Amino acid sequence: MPESRFEALKLELLQGGVAPVYIARTLLELEEHYTDLEQDALAAGLSREEAERSALAALGSERQIAAAVLARPELREWSVRYPRFAYCVRSATTIGLIPGMPVMFCIEHRPELTRWAAAVMAAATFIGAILALLDWMIVQI
Amino acid sequence: MSGVPELLVLRLLTDREMYGYEIVKAVRLVTGEAIGLGEGVIYPVLHWLEESGAVKAKRKSVNGRERVYYTVTTKGRKRLEHLSNEWQRVSGGVNSALGDPGGATGNA
Repeated sequence: MPESRFEALKLELLQGGVAPVYIARTLLELEEHYTDLEQDALAAGLSREEAERSALAALGSERQIAAAVLARPELREWSVRYPRFAYCVRSATTIGLIPGMPVMFCIEHRPELTRWAAAVMAAATFIGAILALLDWMIVQI
Repeated sequence: MSGVPELLVLRLLTDREMYGYEIVKAVRLVTGEAIGLGEGVIYPVLHWLEESGAVKAKRKSVNGRERVYYTVTTKGRKRLEHLSNEWQRVSGGVNSALGDPGGATGNA
């Protein structure tokens, strides 16, 4: 059986916000069910083509199956079932990431930042030394 | 007819564990084909029962085929009892009305 047999159903369920775990299960079970129906029809003496047609007719249309799945909100992803809660979680995550990002950046680029800090300190020491020397020279004059 | 597929599925699963195709065949058999659904519609019912904790699903590989077997849980048995009582009450009322339609209103 080609993998694309229930592709339209898969797309409709994804667009409807059904949890991926239930989409995968539905497709797996429908494929198995289709195979059982087809085998029974072949055993009953139908031709391959007739068996395929009869199996699909017995399963019901993809639209009918999709409607039955979408009628059960419990099978949808939590972010679709509780959009306000999902919005709060996303916002809290974003707010948490804003101050956390510079820290994460520093941890990730530690060697470069260490070199940069050492260079800045060396430059400051050098400039400080020159300024101190100039100051001493002015005092001497 | 709301709740009928759920009632039938739970009743059948109290006898033994079954997979979707077996359940559909058993429903046809026990109802004398009185209930005709698109067979694919059984899966949302099973998944919803699983989500609500009334049944448990287990994957098994049988003769190279991947089957998902369902068994009823304690919660599912309680739900079945509740649904059966509801169904008896409703069908009893409907039967009574069909047997004596005027009796209830006193117009007979």
